[in-house]
Amino acid sequence: MYLTKVSLLDVVAKQFRFKLKSFRGMFTSLMLLQVMAILFSLGGEGGGGGGSDTFSYDMKFYSGNIIMAFMLIWAFISAIVVTTQAYRYDDYAFVANRLSSHLANILFLGWASVIGGVTFALASQSLKLSVLFLKDREFIESHPLTLLQMTEGLAATILYLFLFTAIGYLVGMLVQWNKIFMIILPGLLFGSLFLNVLLGSESTFVIDIGQFFVRETSFLLFTLKVLLASALTYGIAAWVSNSLEVRK
Amino acid sequence: MSVLEFDSVTKAYGRKKALDNLSFSLGENKITGLIGRNGAGKTTMLKIAAGFMKETSGDVRAFGEHPFNNLMVSANMIMIDNDMNMPTALDLEEIMASAADFYHNWDMDLAKKLFDYFSLNPRQTHTGLSKGMKNTFNAILGLASRCPLTIFDEPTNGMDAGVRKDFYRALLKDYIAYPRTIIISSHHLSEVEDILEDILLLKDGQQFLHMPVEELREYAVVVSGKEEAINSWLRGHEVFHKSDQAFGRSYAVIRNDLTDDQIGVAMKSGLEFSTISNEDLCLYLTSQEKGGIDDVFNKG
Repeated sequence: MYLTKVSLLDVVAKQFRFKLKSFRGMFTSLMLLQVMAILFSLGGEGGGGGGSDTFSYDMKFYSGNIIMAFMLIWAFISAIVVTTQAYRYDDYAFVANRLSSHLANILFLGWASVIGGVTFALASQSLKLSVLFLKDREFIESHPLTLLQMTEGLAATILYLFLFTAIGYLVGMLVQWNKIFMIILPGLLFGSLFLNVLLGSESTFVIDIGQFFVRETSFLLFTLKVLLASALTYGIAAWVSNSLEVRK
Repeated sequence: MSVLEFDSVTKAYGRKKALDNLSFSLGENKITGLIGRNGAGKTTMLKIAAGFMKETSGDVRAFGEHPFNNLMVSANMIMIDNDMNMPTALDLEEIMASAADFYHNWDMDLAKKLFDYFSLNPRQTHTGLSKGMKNTFNAILGLASRCPLTIFDEPTNGMDAGVRKDFYRALLKDYIAYPRTIIISSHHLSEVEDILEDILLLKDGQQFLHMPVEELREYAVVVSGKEEAINSWLRGHEVFHKSDQAFGRSYAVIRNDLTDDQIGVAMKSGLEFSTISNEDLCLYLTSQEKGGIDDVFNKG
């Protein structure tokens, strides 16, 4: 019997196809989350009102922020799920090695980010429509966007989602490597928040990191920053996983 | 060319050595039975061979390459064991389609026929199967993937007697049509020995025996007779097992290297010779202590 020669890319492509099927539950949860987020958003995010003797007015803001927050959490959790033992071992039921498994995971999470980004754009449109039809209104002001702005918005959403999958992937791998990180990581996160409040300082460590991306005004630089940060994060995750057994 | 080679391989879990300086080499296109008691290191050995685990020391070669984390070995090898993980989202038909995508030699026709024969439901999920059904399905994966190195780790656990027989028969037929290297580990040697060519016996993480099954049948012989006669005659022979029976009679399993003279002397002192099944022999060869379960209950 002759031996089959394999190329890494070929196996990664096969695993990617496999993951599209076997991780499809992730997209079901995405749909549910978006429906929930739209419902929450219908309450409006803020507003105000005023009036005088002869007239009064009420004002409300609606935005896709809640939907976006839900999606970022979804991206983060999905990536953690991918690193759990059961999902990692699924790969080794068939042909895989660590590198092909990581590459296929990154490819899949990238794909999930694209789907997430596109559905987010659609969901925020649905929110607009819902407000239009469901709410009592006399006057609606919507922020008009050019095609370029919309494209950039979509790309930025996808990039943010991808960044969060990278963070989730690293967090998941750290926890798989040593369960102590289940305590350390939340401890660091909340600890830094509380510490900053105690010290009375305005910024916190987590927000400072976020500023690095949020404050960036050049879209090209922003893209570079996100891609480099994601690559670095995924790289560390892959390096951490080297000390795990392939499969028990 | 040897398909699988272990050269003084040790695997330690903390202080306990699951494999202790294990060396052997499996030739191409043979069915080898891996036999050993619980904890003898069978599964550890198979998982190292499959590239799932890394040896602590020593050298492992599968198709001439180190199997751990190796894509080429992974593509040419399948290991079927009881805790195989399958995605919960996929039903059995989709799992087979995925396997077909991954394994170059996959025979969908055979897989489908076996699937129908064992009346599995294509819409079922893997986690929803009973233990026996799960192992039946896994065994189908192992057969239909036609990997040059196919490893079955206790494949028949939970299968009923009919399915076991059918499985071994299917394995033999497919092996004859498409020869490949197959390793089967099993607790029930009597069930598999008809299809085995070689037998590899592990004890305490070490290789105890590695020989063709035919040779194993000639390897040992049973002597029985009066206790005193046996005791005096046994001196100088390699004794694998000895137990006392009722009415002052004794029973011993010894290495079959007797000369005609020795047999003659034995016959004169009223000793009788008989053969022993491979399964019983392997039990005696791998038992931890002299004596047996009876000694646990014998007081004084």
